[in-house]
Amino acid sequence: MLSIDLFPLLLGLSAAMFTIGSVGVLVRRNPLVVLMSIELMLNAVNLAFVDYGRYLNSEDGQIFTLVVIVVAAAEAVVGLALVSQVYRAGRELDIDDLSEMKE
Amino acid sequence: MSATLAGTLAILLFALPLAGCLGNALLGERLGRRFVNIVGPGVVLGGFVCAVIALVALLGAHEDARSTTVHLWTWFDLGPGALRVGVDITLDPLSVLMCLVITGVGFLIHWYAVGYMEHDESPWRFFSYMNLFIFSMLLLVLSADMVILIIGWALVALSSYLLIGYYYDRPSAVLAARKAFVTQVIGDVALVIAAFMIVTNLSVRSLNLPTIFHYAGASFPHGGALVTGICVLLAIGAFAKSAQFPLHTWLPDAMEGPTPVSALIHAATMVTAGVYLIARFHTLFDLAPIAQGLVACVGIGTAVMAGIIALSQIDIKRVIAYSTMSQIGLMIFAVGIGAYSAGMFHFATHAVFKALLFMAAGNVIHALHDEQDIRLMGGLGLTMRTTERCFLAGSLALAGIPIWAGFFSKEELLGLGFNHGPAAPILYFVGVGINVLTGLYTFRLFFTVFRGEPKTARTYAAHEAPPTMLVPVGILAVLSTVIGWALLFGIPGVVGPFILGSFLDPVFTADGGRLLTEPGHLTALLTVLLGTAGSLVGSGLAYEWWYQHRPDAQVIAGKVPRVLTQLSLHKFYFDEIYDAILVRPVRTLARRLRDVVEPEYADGWVEAVGRATAWMSDTFRVLQTGRLRDYATGMLVAAGAFVVVLAVLVR
Repeated sequence: MLSIDLFPLLLGLSAAMFTIGSVGVLVRRNPLVVLMSIELMLNAVNLAFVDYGRYLNSEDGQIFTLVVIVVAAAEAVVGLALVSQVYRAGRELDIDDLSEMKE
Repeated sequence: MSATLAGTLAILLFALPLAGCLGNALLGERLGRRFVNIVGPGVVLGGFVCAVIALVALLGAHEDARSTTVHLWTWFDLGPGALRVGVDITLDPLSVLMCLVITGVGFLIHWYAVGYMEHDESPWRFFSYMNLFIFSMLLLVLSADMVILIIGWALVALSSYLLIGYYYDRPSAVLAARKAFVTQVIGDVALVIAAFMIVTNLSVRSLNLPTIFHYAGASFPHGGALVTGICVLLAIGAFAKSAQFPLHTWLPDAMEGPTPVSALIHAATMVTAGVYLIARFHTLFDLAPIAQGLVACVGIGTAVMAGIIALSQIDIKRVIAYSTMSQIGLMIFAVGIGAYSAGMFHFATHAVFKALLFMAAGNVIHALHDEQDIRLMGGLGLTMRTTERCFLAGSLALAGIPIWAGFFSKEELLGLGFNHGPAAPILYFVGVGINVLTGLYTFRLFFTVFRGEPKTARTYAAHEAPPTMLVPVGILAVLSTVIGWALLFGIPGVVGPFILGSFLDPVFTADGGRLLTEPGHLTALLTVLLGTAGSLVGSGLAYEWWYQHRPDAQVIAGKVPRVLTQLSLHKFYFDEIYDAILVRPVRTLARRLRDVVEPEYADGWVEAVGRATAWMSDTFRVLQTGRLRDYATGMLVAAGAFVVVLAVLVR
């Protein structure tokens, strides 16, 4: 069996996913892509939780991951509903244009 | 009297006028004039009923058990041995007498006001203020705690301010109200300082009045500087409230208020609060002969001064106002020499006949459509028979003509002045002079207004007042005629002779007080004869000069030294002096502050704060783009920075 220490590798992967996700949130203008990026960030966090849980020999990380998955599902539902409503209203799907709440 | 009964009566006495005040203020406009006309006088009548019940209960009690102090509730308690302030009330002959006059005469005045204010636009406001005034006065006289007493004292000043300034669209009324209030505040401050001095120097830490009086003898040496100072401060408070020299200038100006206000505040009740205060604090004043002497001299001095001024005033209400000042001066003199019962006797009779004079004058003013200049009156006896007779009864009482009320009370207090007080009997002879003055100005007013030839066409068109304004005046006229001998000689089968003296005296002998020795029979007879002669001479001269015109008053005025007539006409120049030494310097200072200090010094700071705020918001507003992306970036950068800082710190 390989005896490579997975902990730092998975943590690095999690950090990379989080960074990619956050950059996606910041730079993309399509709300669908933004939602996907948020999903990526959440899953990066999940990975970090599980990784730490394994490292510390604790179930807490996995339990918390389950909670995060539930919240992420709810968030996806709301977000996608918003996107579909905006689309039905005939608006262009561009985050920078959807700024009526600004004023 | 049982504590329960006393407590119930006191709560009712407080609650009724307060409910009237609030009810008229909140509901009066909605429910209309009828409601106000019933509730306004009604609550005062209720108070009068309570006061009568208290009187009956007191008369039924044993002579030594007539003072009941009840603790209603505690306001604050600073722990054992420290100050405790609560709403304590005292029902004793002194406070019950005050309550009777306040609610009794007050009710008649309220009743009269229903007629007088018939054409007023907002009677609810008026009656609300009037009820507030009654409440404040009752709080003042019933309180057995100095803090509550001072609150009542200040509330009286507030309600008089509101009432004097009732016609707030008249600048003169607003100014008069302000003047009255500022003068009152001087008295308030003196009272508060006196309270501080008492509480810090008394052997027991208390402002409860019975406690103060109980420990006063042990805490303050007789004639000591401290107790003299306290009494002088109390006297300043009394002078401000009772319009005595040198704080008297507000009273004539206060005639700007509606006439029922003048009757209620400036004749019957408020101005006698000072007399009450000194009578209530008699234990302290008995310890301070110098302060007593000062009080007596100021009282008699004010009486002379006001009497001289009253001779030349031409405004019907101002003449009565100055005569009030003069009569209050006599009461202050009485309590100054220690003749407390005599002072309170004169207070009671004066309240009746002075309210009568003011209200009768109100009828005249009403009939002539707000004309107050007596030079334009005359001959009103032809058209206003009833008012004239009532006014005559009031004048006879005021001048001290035998069998009318003023005679008994005035002669009693002057007679006691013959061998008591500072420089006795000199002040007594001054008092006889005041009797002459009183007769002169009283009947000058009566003859000028009601007799002689009508001066203007309006006099012929004058009509008698409506019943609501005549009946209370009539009741007071009857009272002015009978109350003096009823109180002095008693009513056979109902009350015994000297009822008021024996009723009040126990209050003033408690806590080691001594009564003045009555003058001997011969002295008493001589002083009464001399005093009455003074009154008759004054009234007779007035008849000669202002009715028969032989010689005419103007001729007499020409023979008197010009200085005197000028002093009288210009009210001893007090307004001018105060204007020069107080009003104008303060105004100049204020203007200087406004023109120099404010723009150059004060404004700099204020504007710097404003400009700094404006600069900061200008700087930071660029961050508020409204774009979600910018905020998210900010969050991420901050979170990253936080992680870095944490990492560095943990290491």
